[in-house]
Amino acid sequence: MEIFFNLLISGIMVGSVYALVALGWVLIYKCSGVLNLAMGELTLIGAYVCLSLYGWFVKAVPQSTTAFVMALVGTLIIGAVLGLLTERVFLRKMIGEPVLSVIMVTVGLSFFFKGTVEFIWGTDTRVFTPEVFSKKPIPIWGNIYVDSVYLWSFIAALVLLVVFVSFFKYTRWGLAMQATADDEMAALSLGVSAKLVYALAWSIAFMAAGVGGTLLGNVNGINISVGYLGLLVLPAVVLGGLNSVPGAIVGGIIIGVLQNMADGYLSQFTPGGVKEVAPLAFMVILLLFKPYGLWGWERIERV
Amino acid sequence: MSWLPCGVYHEHYKQDHAWWQTKFVKAKMFFLALVVLLIFPYMDIVAPDLGPYLLSIAIMLMYTIMAASGVQLLIGYCGQVTLGHAAFVAVGAYTSCLVLMHGPELAAMGNDPNPVVRLLAGIFAGLMKAGLLYPAAIVLAALVAGLWCVLFGLPSAKVKGFYLIMTTIAAQWITVEFFITQFVSQIGGRQQAFTVMPEHFAIGPFVIDSDRKVYYLGAALVLLLTLAMANLLRSKPGRAWIAIRDNDIAAEAMGVNIVAYKLLAFFVAGAMGGVAGVFWLNFNSIISPEHFQWFWSLWWVGVILIGGVGSIHGTIFGSMFMVLVMEGLKAVVVPLGGAFPELLDRFLFIKEALFGLAIALFLIYEPNGIAYRWWQIKNYFNLWPFSY
Repeated sequence: MEIFFNLLISGIMVGSVYALVALGWVLIYKCSGVLNLAMGELTLIGAYVCLSLYGWFVKAVPQSTTAFVMALVGTLIIGAVLGLLTERVFLRKMIGEPVLSVIMVTVGLSFFFKGTVEFIWGTDTRVFTPEVFSKKPIPIWGNIYVDSVYLWSFIAALVLLVVFVSFFKYTRWGLAMQATADDEMAALSLGVSAKLVYALAWSIAFMAAGVGGTLLGNVNGINISVGYLGLLVLPAVVLGGLNSVPGAIVGGIIIGVLQNMADGYLSQFTPGGVKEVAPLAFMVILLLFKPYGLWGWERIERV
Repeated sequence: MSWLPCGVYHEHYKQDHAWWQTKFVKAKMFFLALVVLLIFPYMDIVAPDLGPYLLSIAIMLMYTIMAASGVQLLIGYCGQVTLGHAAFVAVGAYTSCLVLMHGPELAAMGNDPNPVVRLLAGIFAGLMKAGLLYPAAIVLAALVAGLWCVLFGLPSAKVKGFYLIMTTIAAQWITVEFFITQFVSQIGGRQQAFTVMPEHFAIGPFVIDSDRKVYYLGAALVLLLTLAMANLLRSKPGRAWIAIRDNDIAAEAMGVNIVAYKLLAFFVAGAMGGVAGVFWLNFNSIISPEHFQWFWSLWWVGVILIGGVGSIHGTIFGSMFMVLVMEGLKAVVVPLGGAFPELLDRFLFIKEALFGLAIALFLIYEPNGIAYRWWQIKNYFNLWPFSY
């Protein structure tokens, strides 16, 4: 039973990082109707940018926590700028184009980003030195321990959830984003600026992915495999329903737990690889029964 | 019927759908076939260095066309976006590989107590005697890959668009990264890669062991697949697929059984992928899971996007563009590698970034692909000197 609870708790904690990235993902979908397949690469960029900034700041500021906070803020700013640039160069011309084209533009972007990142930073694994979060596990219940990285990511996910939900519910921009997602043409004709909405969405997605990537980079170090997170997040998003912010959080946590459980209980029967595949397999089966996830909008169509 | 297509009027559907609309087109295609089948493969007589290199590019091109045809069918004609086609190519390659490697063993098990094994052994022994093991492997690979594709196409009965994209991505990871990497490639017991001796690729007495023979096999397969696809598209299933692509609800209202036709599209596309996989095996004699990474699934989608979605020409133009541009890039980067060694190390990354940029820019500035541009050029000459 102790194993079970350990798997459960660490699953929830890993899941909260997924939830964080999934949030950025849902945001883009919710406000522009774009399936952003470059999310993993955005995570990668965020992680590497934060790592480089941290490397510089740590030389200037002796205290690593301060340096890390500064680096994180820097990552958020650079992420926002990159988001604006991406929108300006690539996505502005895609307003009003068929959805498949927009999706494939994001696929193109994902390769472009990935190639560029690999070209600049290489493929070796890099770690945050000196480490930001202490490796000493924090006891939370009896014999159950959590790494402090996971605890922080859990807190970050919760905070961001509250921020995003209130953003969508209580601000004009949030409303404009929902309107654009629902019907781009109608929103445009009512005077919603699609350019602003796209730009905002991409900036926020870059920032959310940056935070997620930084936290993940603190766990195992950063290499190109952090980019696969973008794929792991997809089952989480589908599970919650593509356009539901709370769904992304719950989906992320469920996927995290599921992945950990599959790794703990099923991997002894197979040569390996269960951990990566279990969420995807679960997703395919779930789609047969709940085609719109748990809280997705059901689209009613007629001719 | 004149030299130029201008002034050709159709009086029957039969004329409208004919392959050769004018004698000019017929003659053009005849000369093209002559070049492709007789002159090109024997280039090494004239240019001993360049010939084999060009041949290997041509083979790569054929493989790309075969694999992209399936993607074109699914995305361009049936509107079912697939981002996991490498999985089905892999299934085809591994199926044919296993048949070729273990077929002879199975054929020798004629005295097995199990009647099913005995039956299979009889079939395989017959195939071996007739020298048809390799053609049988191609057919079997196409069937298995098609059925595997249908399995992941099943959710398309209920979901479409993004949710379907997710299941095809899942197909890629479940098949290649899990099933093949963890289980199938362990059967060999030696290492991750399977090797098949060239002499196994034999149709009767003809052994396909040199690049030139592989080229001919590829030409035949590409021709067959393109013909099959073109003919499917102008018959009932093709019209149903196009109706589903344009508006699936309207199609259903008009009496098209959309689930059956979607699954048929998945089957045909998977089978085409399977044939491509067999061809890849024949070209390389070696396969490993690395040959079927997710990158390739996206590569083929990129090929059809650049060539033109919903056009058979588009598949071919896109394949030519991608293969030739990447070869051209290599030709530029490799000489520069002397001056900048790190450029060679990171060539793969440059390739990746440029591929992504090419897709994005093509979609922004030339959304209809090269095939549309080709059509415009042709039209310009057809209508010359008038612009309408």
